[in-house]
Amino acid sequence: MVSQEFSLKGKTALIAGDSKYWSKYAAKALAEAGADVALSARNNKHLEEAADEIQKQNRKALIIPTETNNTVNIQRVLGQVLNEFGRIDILVNASDFVFAKPFLQISEKEWRQVMDENLMPAFLYSQAVVKPMKEQSKGRIINLISCMAERGVENFTAYCTSMGGVLQLTRALNLEVARHGITVNAIGTAWISEVEKTGDAAEELVLKYLPLKRYGKPDEIDSLLVYLASDTSSFFTGQFLYVDGAVMSHP
Amino acid sequence: MNEKGTLEGKVAVITGGGTGLGKASALVLAKEGVSVVIAARRVNAIEQTASEINALGRKALAIPADVTDSQQVNKLIEETVSKLGSVDILVNNAGIVRGQVPKPLWEITDEEWRLGIDTNLSSVFYCSRAVMKYFVNQGHGKIINIASGNGMRGFRGDYMYGTAKAGVINLTRILATTFAQNNIQVNCIAPGFVDVRQLQPVPVTSSATRTANLIPVQRFGEPNDIAHLVLFLASEASGYITGGLFPNDGGGLAGGIAPTGYAPIIEKGVN
Repeated sequence: MVSQEFSLKGKTALIAGDSKYWSKYAAKALAEAGADVALSARNNKHLEEAADEIQKQNRKALIIPTETNNTVNIQRVLGQVLNEFGRIDILVNASDFVFAKPFLQISEKEWRQVMDENLMPAFLYSQAVVKPMKEQSKGRIINLISCMAERGVENFTAYCTSMGGVLQLTRALNLEVARHGITVNAIGTAWISEVEKTGDAAEELVLKYLPLKRYGKPDEIDSLLVYLASDTSSFFTGQFLYVDGAVMSHP
Repeated sequence: MNEKGTLEGKVAVITGGGTGLGKASALVLAKEGVSVVIAARRVNAIEQTASEINALGRKALAIPADVTDSQQVNKLIEETVSKLGSVDILVNNAGIVRGQVPKPLWEITDEEWRLGIDTNLSSVFYCSRAVMKYFVNQGHGKIINIASGNGMRGFRGDYMYGTAKAGVINLTRILATTFAQNNIQVNCIAPGFVDVRQLQPVPVTSSATRTANLIPVQRFGEPNDIAHLVLFLASEASGYITGGLFPNDGGGLAGGIAPTGYAPIIEKGVN
């Protein structure tokens, strides 16, 4: 049950670009708070699972399969959302293409692919929604990114760069759209898993390192996501918040 | 690194200059022609540093002072100016990790808290306050604060030191903006793990090895790693730099979200 201050009743959301697990959890949280939710990504079983979660909350769900991230396609996605829902209040950019390889072995094609998968959709979807959000004088853009936007991890140069790009998109776009009632924020995560991690030596090394001695679960960003999507966060913009089990705080 | 003579004849006060980073900074500045005042409580240590500098044919003065006592700090700066004619550079290096024996939070006394904050933070305020009127009058001055990576991250149980060092980082910015128009530059260095035992090789204990492994360059810092940055920030080469935070940490702060050695290969991408 969501308290009145955070209610998303009558609002519509688009969760864009996720082909992993974010849409399932984020969709459930937004629908539970009262929003109708559209999902745009490569068509996978997980989108149907997400749609099920939305319908369980008696909210409208809309799956828009999207294979390629380019302006034409993304404008088509937005057209469909506006057609079905009549408005767009909340955009969640959820692309998370994880890629790791020793720096010298990364090909130009791979580098471009990582940027195309992580950075490009955040740009294209944001550009698509800002116009209708400006007309409404209200909007919420929430970018789901990684702690690797700010910190380096070995073999993750391409991924870190793409996520750092989304972080800067958050900061810079916020300045252009704040006066139109549109907020732009990012939620950063690290060490998230749907299933409990135990077992092999590599996992043990990671678990020992983490301050909470466990991975985070995808639904642990839910309440922050709803807060940032709600009307009550209207003065909160341009920020980058970590739901990270304190991993950014320790040495 | 300087144009010849840039620092020749300048006067620097270095707190905690008897050992470690302070001593290394004193020696490096002295070699560049700076007259150096070394101020700390341990008389033997500062006299030792002073005599090493004198042996180089440079001027050095050892003035015993407890930098947590603002009257002693004021006297230190007055004595510096009366004996050496001016003060141009202040290196706020004094600080302790002493008294940081890990203990439960509820067992830390008010006195221990105050001692930690006074030594690491109030001392920087007292010394900066004492030199600032001279800096403003002469129309130039350099303050270099030695903070710590501990002021940027939460080390377990590191209450006084970590809190005070975070304060030093922001005091740097406040002094820098307040006195920017007076041609006074205030900057801050955040050393990582520095071995202060005067360039002795780090003993191969398992804990030292573990710590070195955490550092991307795979070694501890040496006092001169910091001292050469002090020199840069004391010189005219850094004349347009103020309010800066300079981590000098072998790359440690760039990482810190994955354990050392974690370097997977994920080729086909996961999306």
